Amino acid sequence: MGMSLSRLTEKTNIWPWLLLAPLGIYMLIFFVVPLADVAIMSFTEPRVSLANYERVLTGALYQRVFVNTFLTAAFVTLCCLAVGYPLAYLMAHSKPRTAMLILLLVTMSFWTSFLVRTYSWMVLLGNNGPLIAFLQMIGIDQPPQLLFTRFSSTLAMVHILAPYMIMNVYSVMKKIDPVLIRSAESLGARGWSLFRHVYLPLTAPGIANGSVLVFVICLGFYVTPVLLGSPREQMIAGLIGHQIDEFLAFGMGSAMAMVLLVVTLIILTIYHRRFGLDKLWG
Amino acid sequence: MNLFMRWTGILVVIFIAAPLVIVVPMSFSSANSLQFPPPGYWLGYYRAYFTNPDWLIPTWNSILIATATTILTMILVVPATFALVRHKFRGKSFADLMMLMPLAVPHIVMAVGYYSYLGDLGLVHSHLGVILAHTCLSVPIAFLVLSANLKGFDRNLERAAQSLGASPTKTFMHITLPILRPGLIISALFAFVQSFDETVVAIFISGRDAATLPRKMFDSIRQEADPVIAVISTLLFFLVLIGIAAPYFVSALRSRAPKPSRPAGAH
Repeated sequence: MGMSLSRLTEKTNIWPWLLLAPLGIYMLIFFVVPLADVAIMSFTEPRVSLANYERVLTGALYQRVFVNTFLTAAFVTLCCLAVGYPLAYLMAHSKPRTAMLILLLVTMSFWTSFLVRTYSWMVLLGNNGPLIAFLQMIGIDQPPQLLFTRFSSTLAMVHILAPYMIMNVYSVMKKIDPVLIRSAESLGARGWSLFRHVYLPLTAPGIANGSVLVFVICLGFYVTPVLLGSPREQMIAGLIGHQIDEFLAFGMGSAMAMVLLVVTLIILTIYHRRFGLDKLWG
Repeated sequence: MNLFMRWTGILVVIFIAAPLVIVVPMSFSSANSLQFPPPGYWLGYYRAYFTNPDWLIPTWNSILIATATTILTMILVVPATFALVRHKFRGKSFADLMMLMPLAVPHIVMAVGYYSYLGDLGLVHSHLGVILAHTCLSVPIAFLVLSANLKGFDRNLERAAQSLGASPTKTFMHITLPILRPGLIISALFAFVQSFDETVVAIFISGRDAATLPRKMFDSIRQEADPVIAVISTLLFFLVLIGIAAPYFVSALRSRAPKPSRPAGAH
């Protein structure tokens, strides 16, 4: 009998390292080093000191931006849940054909460049757009400014990130055994109590997955808040970009980037300990 | 509860769908501002897109960069995925985790790093610089797709080939590769889309010469909201529609049902 491929490779333990080496070296040079560069610059630009962190962590402007970013991310996550949960429910409890059409729509949204979706919201919320026209039609003579406000950027982010929530919740709902629901009903659970004590706990893993993803992506969101948000209420990524673009303040930009990175990694590490990171994107 | 969820669900469908389809009528609008509904219709902005080098060059840059990124990503990821899925070795779980790291780091953080690092290497504002950066960001996505495929691979097929006398190389070429082909194609497609759509890093490092389409769109939306953006959005919309509908059609023809999904990337 010929030696099998698997046995050959299991015996000589150098194989996996040879296969991994090109990627490992590449990622070291073009991922780890640039990232380390950010960490180094945060301490050395313009001179070696902790001054950047001192300013970032104690300056009133920066603190306000951090708090604003955190609250926005939390709010967007909640909205995504409020929007995504009913839709996932609708998908999980309608005919296969309807479910597939909705899934198609959500997948479409998911794959559509978020620049395109950001642009669409500019059209929808613009001063010559349909929403303002509608408000005027129902008798509001001086409709409020919708575009370039916290409202417009939040709404667009919810729209852009909702598919992450929907897909995660839906994939859990789909797997719920209907027998569980029926037996809960036979034991007297109805309406709200059935939902609260049976359905909600069963879908919790999907909610956790979706929420972590949406929250983490939203924390570092650059494009949509910059294009649609109010210039006076920036989020952290926008402020980092501003420091680099306008002031070439690499030290300050890097220090803020490091804070953003550390917060993101803490959240993902907690998640990883409990569930495993590979499940988040799988 | 039930009825409430249903109606909310229907409203959400409208909320998701409206921004996706609104770009189509906008692209035929004759207005030069963001007016909706459009005052009139014409094809002028399509002509503007297909004749204006300011738009065509970034489009070409994006195609070029995404293609090169895909090739480089696959060359690096395919052997690594085999190593990680088929071998047990010390440090494997660490390596697994490292493969996902680029997904965990916000793109704005990488943008700061690349701006400075590629600047030092003299690669900022060059195609090569963007390709090198995009490859790092595409690696985890290509890996996730490919490793899921490789895990589902029935190795008895390889054993059968070898017991019939095929050499390891022959087994790989005639059994492993053909069976894995759909997974490889999807993995490469995801790498391509990741690069083609990537905006934040491209904004900071692609400069004028290597400006990608997303960078050009970002600048244009920020400055003047050129109506050509609606044209590009519509073209991208239909590309995505075709890309998603095609597997459904093929599967309807073969009466099987694979589901297109996409692992999430950090925006």
